[in-house]
Amino acid sequence: MAADAHHRVELRRAIRQLRERGLYAAAKWAAEQLVGLREETEAEKLALKRPLRRKEVAGQSNIGAGIPPREEDEEEEEDVFCLAKSFFDVREYRRAAHALRGVTGQKAVFLRCYATYLYGEKRKEEEIVELAGPLGRSDAVNEELVALEQELSALYGKGTLDAFGSYLYGVILHERERKVEARSVLCSSVNTYPWNWSAWLELQALCTDPDILTQLNLNDHWMRDFFVASVNLDLHRNSDGLARYRALHVTFPRSDHILAQTATAHYNLREFDEAESLFEELLRTDPFRIEGLDTYSNILYVKECFAALSFLAHKAVLTDKYRPETCCIIGNYYSLKAQHEKAVLYFKRALKLNRKYLSAWTLMGHEYVELKNTPAAIDAYRRAVDINPRDYRAWYGLGQTYELLVMPYYALYYYRRATQLRPHDARMWCAMGQCYENEQLQMHDAAIRCYRRAVTNNDREGIALHKLAKLHHQLGQADQAAFYYQKNLERMEADQNEGQDIVEAVLFLATHCKNQNRLEEAEHYCTRLLDYGGPAKEDAKALLREIRSVQQHAATQPSMDLEQFTP
Amino acid sequence: MGREERESRTQERKRKRSIGTDGVREENRDLVVSEMREMDLEKLRSVVRDCMCKHLYSSAIFFADKLATLAGNTPQDLFMHAQALYLGKEYRRALHLLRRFHLVSVDLRFRYLAAKCLAEVKDWEECLAMLGDGEVDEDGNVESAEEQGLDLSESKDVEEREIHVSSAMCLLRGRAFDALENRARALCWYKAALKADPFCYEAFEHLIDNHMLSTEQESKLLASLKFEPEDKWLSLLYSCRANKYVHGAKIEMKIAELEQEMDEPLTDDESRAVCSLKDNTDVMTCKADLEYHRGDFQRCYESTTALLEKDPYHLRCMPLHLGAALELGRKNELFLRAHSLVQEYPTKAISWFAVGCYYYCIRQYDHARRYFCKATAMENSFAPAWLGFGNAYAAQDESDQAMAAYRTAARLFAGCHLPNLCIGMEYLRTNNLNLAEQFLLQAKTICPDDPLVFNELGVMTYRNKEFKIAADWFDRALNLAPKPLTESWEPTVVNFAHTLRKLKMYAKAITEYEKALALYPRGASTYAALGFTYHLQGNSSLAIDYYHKALGLKPDDSFTSEMLSVALQDECISQSSSGGLRLSSALGFPHRVIVTVSLIGSCGSKWSALRQTKNVSRLGRSTDQRRAFLRGLTTE
Repeated sequence: MAADAHHRVELRRAIRQLRERGLYAAAKWAAEQLVGLREETEAEKLALKRPLRRKEVAGQSNIGAGIPPREEDEEEEEDVFCLAKSFFDVREYRRAAHALRGVTGQKAVFLRCYATYLYGEKRKEEEIVELAGPLGRSDAVNEELVALEQELSALYGKGTLDAFGSYLYGVILHERERKVEARSVLCSSVNTYPWNWSAWLELQALCTDPDILTQLNLNDHWMRDFFVASVNLDLHRNSDGLARYRALHVTFPRSDHILAQTATAHYNLREFDEAESLFEELLRTDPFRIEGLDTYSNILYVKECFAALSFLAHKAVLTDKYRPETCCIIGNYYSLKAQHEKAVLYFKRALKLNRKYLSAWTLMGHEYVELKNTPAAIDAYRRAVDINPRDYRAWYGLGQTYELLVMPYYALYYYRRATQLRPHDARMWCAMGQCYENEQLQMHDAAIRCYRRAVTNNDREGIALHKLAKLHHQLGQADQAAFYYQKNLERMEADQNEGQDIVEAVLFLATHCKNQNRLEEAEHYCTRLLDYGGPAKEDAKALLREIRSVQQHAATQPSMDLEQFTP
Repeated sequence: MGREERESRTQERKRKRSIGTDGVREENRDLVVSEMREMDLEKLRSVVRDCMCKHLYSSAIFFADKLATLAGNTPQDLFMHAQALYLGKEYRRALHLLRRFHLVSVDLRFRYLAAKCLAEVKDWEECLAMLGDGEVDEDGNVESAEEQGLDLSESKDVEEREIHVSSAMCLLRGRAFDALENRARALCWYKAALKADPFCYEAFEHLIDNHMLSTEQESKLLASLKFEPEDKWLSLLYSCRANKYVHGAKIEMKIAELEQEMDEPLTDDESRAVCSLKDNTDVMTCKADLEYHRGDFQRCYESTTALLEKDPYHLRCMPLHLGAALELGRKNELFLRAHSLVQEYPTKAISWFAVGCYYYCIRQYDHARRYFCKATAMENSFAPAWLGFGNAYAAQDESDQAMAAYRTAARLFAGCHLPNLCIGMEYLRTNNLNLAEQFLLQAKTICPDDPLVFNELGVMTYRNKEFKIAADWFDRALNLAPKPLTESWEPTVVNFAHTLRKLKMYAKAITEYEKALALYPRGASTYAALGFTYHLQGNSSLAIDYYHKALGLKPDDSFTSEMLSVALQDECISQSSSGGLRLSSALGFPHRVIVTVSLIGSCGSKWSALRQTKNVSRLGRSTDQRRAFLRGLTTE
């Protein structure tokens, strides 16, 4: 309980401080977690009002050592800050920055730099709209970055940059592609002021590797647990992430953020039913939520729930039509209805609203593949992996597209990236195996290795087994071929599958058994074949005739065989 | 005579009237009259002086004429008369006056004024004759004893500091020779003027602004000047303005000293309470100049903007401001500035230069050329316009004309290494390496401290495939470049990295490439080169990563996409087979590609190349060169 109260005090203060500095997204997140805590008991409320409060406040100053003590600037400066903040709130960034020029308080410096940065971003976006090529590629850059970097690095070097300033510095360094420095700056920011979720997210974007995560020098704090859980999801260590979210769920039982992340983890683990029910729960508590619902729409898409997806799309439109997530949901909806042009249109709109919206890029790539527009597909996938190189879907999509273009070397590379990200996903291995089989490469050994890995990773579609059998067949390794055909047959029987694969398997097994003189088994397979039509039936009949003649032969002249085989 | 008598009588009468009431005794009358006349004349003189001060020149001429006549044509009053005539722009009349009374030979001052008049009417030969033939040696030591003797006898008035007449005469000689296009002699005389009196700022201005001296000569001259101890500030200021290419730190120190030194005197010596020069526009200009040379255009622009707010007509700062605005692409500012300049100073070269800059900025090189040309026609000695003229031609790939412009600049501004440098770069571009070397080395002798020259020399040797030497040049360039490096030095860093790669120092090359990317993270060719280096090291997966990045920034680059395919095949083979094969592929690969690859010459920046315009041409140019580099990579 005490911990709860503690969190509550911290979060309340953080919300105020974040809002003061115009970091609205982080403030929103903090507020979400604040409400996600257990309900405040009456006793707690009372306690908070009286003695505990003082104790907490005393404790606070220890925790938040990095937070500047309440600035005791002259009142005039405070007034100027208010003016600037008002400009900032109505998005007049340049004016806000100008109003704060020459003001030296840390809060003012941060707001000025932040406003300048946002002005640069705004200008960049406008330029992109004006000059962008197809798919929004453009050379526009934020013109303010260089000057801001100089200023902030000087302040950082002197050690006078507070946690918020170093957050901004980290963001700028990241944009200037100086990742190592950006990481250390962001680490120092979150260590001194852990409640800024935006800083954690920025740090997450820089953790492209599990090793990096372990090298980070982070102080222990409950915010760190959120971060680690989130990074784990991002790095596709879903079960680990899931466990961490479960642990957090104990402290924040009512947090929608945790709920949504848990659902996403389930989705990543391809446990669609759990994920769906979690999303439904989420929508019940927060019916007008849009964040994260694109994942929900993906689930509905995979499960082909037309009605639910349609409902979701309509609801999202009513809530907020011009949110990238909404557009993404609609795109999914059209895609499911096989209206791919319309789907592309909506994904494009989503991307116009947010150019860094990862899943829209990937999904658009998929749609372009459907439309056979490979260059556009490649471009879209590339953008996706530029934004987040851990998006295995995009890597996989790239591989697929290049395979379509008959460029197996490219395809292989991309598939390999995908398998590196998800070594336990049989689909990737199958795709890679197929690539090795390609007539340009003809690397059957490598292909077999890939398929084997697919099989060990529980290949649900059974492609790998069939392919393995076929490959061994081609290479004349009949025993292995028979083994895999057998296994595949068993799998298909269990799934009650019907199809050409069965015919092929049975036919091979029949021939194989006959050759091995296991005539009864062969006969059994042949009779099964007779249920199927087409040429297979004829083959089966011919085989049967052969078997019969061999059988008769063996009955009448049992010694013949021996004579034949003994020299 | 009759008139004079009449006049004196009337004056006497006047005086009687005024003084008579005081009861002046008759016997002293004569004495008093002469005294009174003297007083009267003095009064008239003061009227003349006052008229001159108030710029009422016709009145001054009128009264000075009367005064001279009344005083009986004393040289002193005649001088005043001539002075008034000069100020009233009646040069011929002044000259005639001086000659009529044979005053010219009397005193240096008369001679100087006569020469000045002749200068004004542009009769330079006569002017020189009037000044007499002094002899002057290389270093500006005047050999004519007569003048020095006179010089000493001239005023040694400490209380009221005057510019020595001899110094002024030397200056005028310099100007005359300048006008007669005899630059060598002009140079000597300017030096002599400055030596005769360090306070003769005009001579200094001529020397520096027209880039007449090389860095070495500049420092030598400054060292030889004799400053009084209390004039240390002037010596500091001079050296700040002169040393353009010497390490910035030194100048910075001097500027700091200049600002500080001025703060102190109040405490240690009350009498020479000079106030601080901290916010003086000239000191600020020096600072801005330094920033410009460092390539810190943003800051330079900010300081010049602040300066021009204080003094919107500070013309010396204007080229800097225009140059910085050009670098930053502030076309709006250029437009407004050019308009107001043309309106306010339609006869100044700088105004039309500004117009040219604006057109250069919006990449209308035809127009830019026209206005640069106009600027040079107005003021032959305006260096930035010449270089801008050349750069505008170069931007359109018209090498010959560009070269002609640069050559004129080189001739006119012997102490400026930039024209030579530009010519060298132009030859480099047209692949004429021998000539390029010649000019670049020449530029190096004029200014041994400009990192850009070293960069270009490096590119030249690189093209000659002398990679070791090239690496040395680049290294020196980077050592000279102001720290911390700014974006404008990125090409040099990249060049250095390319050279190291050529020398097979891959690890070092990679760190350099990374440095370059920290300066400019959007360089597609840098990423490509970095990928290529990794590829050469046999690290195909990293190579693929970087090739991808390069293609992400520049999707239509054929070299990179070719190399990507090669790397992908390599990767595929190495991944799918055992370690042995991987090694062999790594070893085998360089042979295959090294042939395809040759270099790169993204020589960079023309930016130090002359203030203004130079930089922009670098942008356009370096992309060209990069294109050439990649073309070279793929075709060779």
